[in-house]
Amino acid sequence: MSDLPFLLQGAVVTASVSLVAIVLGVPLGLALAIVRWRRVPLLSPLVALYVSVIRATPAITLALLIFFGSPSLGIVLGAAPAAVLTLLINTSAFNCEIWRAALIDFPRDQVEAARAFGMPPRLMFRRVVLPQVWRTSLPALVNEMTLLIKASPALAVIGIVDLTRAASRIGAATYKPLPPFLAATAIYMLLVMLFVAAQRYVERRVRQRFEMA
Amino acid sequence: MICSAYRLRNRSAMWMMSTVLLGMLAVFSLSAHGQTLQEKIKNHQPVVVGTEDDYRPFEFVENGKPAGLDNELFQLLKAEAKFDLRQEIIPWTGLLAGVSSGKYDAAVTGALINQERMKAFDFAMPVAANMHFYLKRKNDTSITGIKDLSGKTVGVQSGSVLLARLPELEKMIAKTGGKMGKVVQYASYPEAYQDLANGRVDYVVNGEINLLGVMAERPGVFEMGQPVVETPSYVGWPVKKGNKEMLDYLNNFLRTVRANGKLEELQKKWLKTSFKNLPEHVEPNF
Repeated sequence: MSDLPFLLQGAVVTASVSLVAIVLGVPLGLALAIVRWRRVPLLSPLVALYVSVIRATPAITLALLIFFGSPSLGIVLGAAPAAVLTLLINTSAFNCEIWRAALIDFPRDQVEAARAFGMPPRLMFRRVVLPQVWRTSLPALVNEMTLLIKASPALAVIGIVDLTRAASRIGAATYKPLPPFLAATAIYMLLVMLFVAAQRYVERRVRQRFEMA
Repeated sequence: MICSAYRLRNRSAMWMMSTVLLGMLAVFSLSAHGQTLQEKIKNHQPVVVGTEDDYRPFEFVENGKPAGLDNELFQLLKAEAKFDLRQEIIPWTGLLAGVSSGKYDAAVTGALINQERMKAFDFAMPVAANMHFYLKRKNDTSITGIKDLSGKTVGVQSGSVLLARLPELEKMIAKTGGKMGKVVQYASYPEAYQDLANGRVDYVVNGEINLLGVMAERPGVFEMGQPVVETPSYVGWPVKKGNKEMLDYLNNFLRTVRANGKLEELQKKWLKTSFKNLPEHVEPNF
């Protein structure tokens, strides 16, 4: 199939845009969750509002808003930065809730034990809370990553030629939509499987390191 | 002790936030929004046009490269521009919104000109005329003329000029004593053709140029019928209403390519037909 390179180009776009959003979105979600968890005055209700607005906004609406709304705020955003920003904002809201659930569930007695030893809060967070919280959050975070990859076709609306858009262009040119979409489905499955495989690998390594005894 | 540490964090966080907010305000007030063409050129800002990505034969992407009438015209425009002229290729959905929001200075796209669009946009002089025809399945012998369309299901793109001008066909059918059948609206034409081939609709209404393209690409499946309107619709490039400098700039260019025969050459190449005596300005009555 002569259109395969074009399709693969789309796959690279999908993977790279999603990857940047994930790499930035996971820590951003954690930062937001900490703001909520520690009930930081002023910021905490703002984050709560942010999360509920973003969770209720479809990715396609958000993409249009960021891309076409930005000039009226005097910010000139190209399609690629707007696309990354869209996915980043979207995933950060969901990641925030995943991290927050893990933080809320964190055993109180460990916090009190750390305090009793006079551990400063930052050190406690780094040495006691985070190493456990990220492990409980990992499956849910990876799940959100796979959802994000599948939300990325929404970006086509601002001119990003992702995997789905590439497939639909090929379909429109050849009047045979089935082959490109089947190929695209296979590539999506491959991308998602890569993420899940990475998660399994990390989980196995963690178990080997910490739970050998 | 923990409380005091928290409070310190909060204070620095608030400082950061107010700094960010102030910075954003500063950016807003220096807003680059709504600049005219001359201002943009003077400020060394790029002038950006938007083009649709999948609208044969006017504009489409082939092997990763822009092709079609509008894209070749844009290449000519860019070659003679003495400033930074850029193009962004995006689907139809956001294209006109991009022009009215100021993201694009114009859309170099095969937009049909109608009254609705004239309210929000000014159109440069048309690059083509497009009569509306109906398309039917080649093996469907029940349709031989306008009167046979009575009661049949028609497919047409939603929000299009084609849809807006269907009442004209309704009148034509009524004159033959028939009645307009069910109208099915599609997000885009490739789906409508698909359903025509499948038999979900009996005929599809679209522009002559577009239908000639479909017939060439899928020979033997479809057949073009008669015109379903009395007068053609015109195809032109929209700019935001009141952006006179951009409009004049495009019109100057179009006047040149009309005069030197380049436009006619490109029409023949891409549209398989050419148009003599295209009007300079269109006042649609639909």
